[in-house]
Amino acid sequence: MLVRVIGWLLYIEAAFMVVPLLATLYYGDPSFPFLIAIPVTLAAATIATVVVRPRRFDMGKREGFLLTALVWIVFSVFGMIPFMLCSTSLSLTDAFFEAMSGFTTTGASVLADIDNLSHGIHLWRSLMQWIGGMGIILFTLAVLPMLNSSGGMQMFNAEVTGITHEKLRPRVSSTAKRLWMVYTLLTAALVVLYWIGPMNCFDSICHALSTMSTGGFSTRNEALGAWNSLYIKILTTVFMFVGGINFALIFRASTGQFRAVWRNEVFRLYVWVVLGMFLVFDIALVLNPQVPVTVEGLTIDPLFQIVSTLSSTGYAVDGILNWGPLLTGLLIVMMFVGACAGSTAGGAKLDRILLFGKNAGNELSRCIYPNHIMPVEVNHKVVSPDLVNKTMVFLTVYTGVILIGGLLLTICGAPLKDACFTSYSCVSNSALDCVLSPEGGAYSMITPPGKWILSLLMLTGRLEIFTVLLLLVPRFWRK
Amino acid sequence: MKIVIAGAGEVGSHLAKLLSREEQDIIVLDKDASKLNRLDANYNLMTVVGSPTSFDDQRAAGVGEDCDLFIAVTPYENTNLIACGIAKHLGARKTVGRIDNYEYLNPDNRKFFSATGVDHLIYPEYLAAQEICQALRRPWARNWFELYDGELILVGVRVSENARLVGHKLKDLTFNQHTYHVSAIKRRHETIIPRGDDDIRVGDIIYFTTTREYVNEIRDICGKKDFKVRNVMIMGGGRIAVRLVHLASDRLDLTIIDDDLERCRLLPEKCQGRKVKIIHGDARNTDILREEGIGGMDAFVALTDFSETNILACLTAKEFGVNKTVAEVENIQFISEAEGLNIGTVINKKLLASSKIFQLLLAADESSAKFMALADAEVAELEARPDSKITRAPVMELRLRREMTLAGLIRDGKGMLVTGRTRIQAGDHVLVFCLSGSMHKVEKLFN
Repeated sequence: MLVRVIGWLLYIEAAFMVVPLLATLYYGDPSFPFLIAIPVTLAAATIATVVVRPRRFDMGKREGFLLTALVWIVFSVFGMIPFMLCSTSLSLTDAFFEAMSGFTTTGASVLADIDNLSHGIHLWRSLMQWIGGMGIILFTLAVLPMLNSSGGMQMFNAEVTGITHEKLRPRVSSTAKRLWMVYTLLTAALVVLYWIGPMNCFDSICHALSTMSTGGFSTRNEALGAWNSLYIKILTTVFMFVGGINFALIFRASTGQFRAVWRNEVFRLYVWVVLGMFLVFDIALVLNPQVPVTVEGLTIDPLFQIVSTLSSTGYAVDGILNWGPLLTGLLIVMMFVGACAGSTAGGAKLDRILLFGKNAGNELSRCIYPNHIMPVEVNHKVVSPDLVNKTMVFLTVYTGVILIGGLLLTICGAPLKDACFTSYSCVSNSALDCVLSPEGGAYSMITPPGKWILSLLMLTGRLEIFTVLLLLVPRFWRK
Repeated sequence: MKIVIAGAGEVGSHLAKLLSREEQDIIVLDKDASKLNRLDANYNLMTVVGSPTSFDDQRAAGVGEDCDLFIAVTPYENTNLIACGIAKHLGARKTVGRIDNYEYLNPDNRKFFSATGVDHLIYPEYLAAQEICQALRRPWARNWFELYDGELILVGVRVSENARLVGHKLKDLTFNQHTYHVSAIKRRHETIIPRGDDDIRVGDIIYFTTTREYVNEIRDICGKKDFKVRNVMIMGGGRIAVRLVHLASDRLDLTIIDDDLERCRLLPEKCQGRKVKIIHGDARNTDILREEGIGGMDAFVALTDFSETNILACLTAKEFGVNKTVAEVENIQFISEAEGLNIGTVINKKLLASSKIFQLLLAADESSAKFMALADAEVAELEARPDSKITRAPVMELRLRREMTLAGLIRDGKGMLVTGRTRIQAGDHVLVFCLSGSMHKVEKLFN
């Protein structure tokens, strides 16, 4: 059954690959990697669905977790084929890293020079982020009726980010459909808005796909800096911000329930964090002699950087290297925090930070008032101690994964600082590599085993730790 | 269809699970979040924490104009009735409430309930009592399902060692004459929709579809003997027992054994002077059973609150030579175990109540539909609509899915069996047997 479902998903991936193929044909690119990648994917899909006979049709919790993790890996395996066949032809390791980085919306790239990539490859990179942003499984749930069962529920729970999973509609497929509808409409709006500005059609599509998914791939070496346009910066800031909001909330808002959105504590915290950080950044920038005081430099630049970091997009403004250690440090902290759960952003998610903050506050007061009952309340609902506990464990394990990942990378030959930082940004799905390594393209220097570790870390971060870690626990495999 | 279920107790959860597999929009409303978490994480449905009798909570659960059915199955009758009233007021199209009081079923009182917004009442204990009566009337059969005043009969029989059927393949059985249709075979924990090359083994429960004149033939080939049930001993004097007394005390000599003295004292009052012998004692005690003449009983019915006790008591009764035993088994997982232990008929209130509600669901778009839920299969009577897919070709050319079979049909008030060459016509009432979770697919064929 597992194999068969993966087969079905591969059909979907092949269907997605048709889009860059069309772009390749339209722009007359010199090489046709998709003409090979699509048949290969289709062949694998056919083998998986037709040749392999399922022994059991039911799916339990275990299968749900396993399948979700496997699907992401298999998607990356087939998604890397175009990279291996294109004109700049990557090695197996690099291609897999690039594909995983795409699907997990990390946006880390081993390609030092992206200006010369073909149109097809550009579009595929952005499209991968777009699919991965909302979630491969979630997309499948919306399209394939066969997963609309309890097995599908398990996968939904394993993939969607957040502490608890809000359902918009009773059936998981209709929930998924609505979420994807919101996502698609927003992306379409962004394409049009980019296009109105200085971007051409192709660049607008690519950037819209990777901005909405808060991924951060670009079609230029200088990323958005290439256009040097205020309009694009503002637009990107707004949509990165939207990409960091819980999509269920956006759906609520689109049905006119604005009050419910504003009353949501996590959303409010998100707004306050952005505004508060903006204030701190401005003060720091004004006091910093190295940064020239301009209107754009004090308004949109810090805002852009804050939202880009929180939402784990990873775009950077020019001159960020002069901002000084305090702001760099703050950016690094924000990478950890991330944005709302249920969005396309990475990081540990504000929901958990909020819960952690409240719980920590309670624990402090409990030292003085041991008899007070102080439940953790979010959105005026008491959060059960089980959930609080789970969140605390999550945060601890999350930090642990970053550290262990960093240490493993040092074994593979990376300097300690680089190792820890790359591990950190991969788990957070936010490749803000320019902050620490000014020369850029830090990932191309990491050894092949290190890249495999990073790929795994990205997946771990995207599926929110437990889904991937479970597979590494022996008890999971014991019958 | 959008269905709101208030109360995530046993009946509510069971219904929610069943219906979520049928691709319906299910929302479960309950006060207790811990009961809901389980459902929410494992089944394709939505849960809302809230009180079933709160306007706001009902609205939050989606009770409104687009709510097709509201089912109130909390343990409390009053809550259910009020919840139904509120739901009706908020716009639910149809409401069903579970009750504990037989008086409410009285046709004279119907008016009150329709005025307060309760469209249908469900009284699981009454359904159970009816089922037991049915079982005692035909002690050799496990299940009995009649359509159209017995024009078409579905009967479930356990195959004994001496049955002529054993070891035969289905295609050989109906070779010479077509007097019955083997619709399903229940073997251990699974139900099989059989094909021609499936064979029949000892211990299988076989569901035959037949017409009235061949029922006796089925009994013979399964190696069963008919006997009249007269003396019945009932263990446990709960509500089902009381209903049973009301239904059957004129035909049967009933003896109720209960170990609760208070309850025994009140029983005569509840039975309203009907002829019944009431004994205070523990029916697990073989001395008491012997004293009360278990040897002379034709049937033993175990209706305590504990499934295990019921199953064991029935086994004890079998050892004393009682021919027919009926056990109430409330744990669904135990049903197939109990059937395997050769306990005659197994009664489950949850299955009965959910069958009833399912039937109401089908009746929403089917003029007259009957429905029966078995542990993992369902039987329904469906009317073929003009131009529906099922009427387009003879059955064997339809290439129906393996999980369903067409057993028989009623055309112009006359029952007949379905063979591969039969062509269903519009207006036929067809008896369909399908595995759980595929009812909606079957329904599509008929609409």
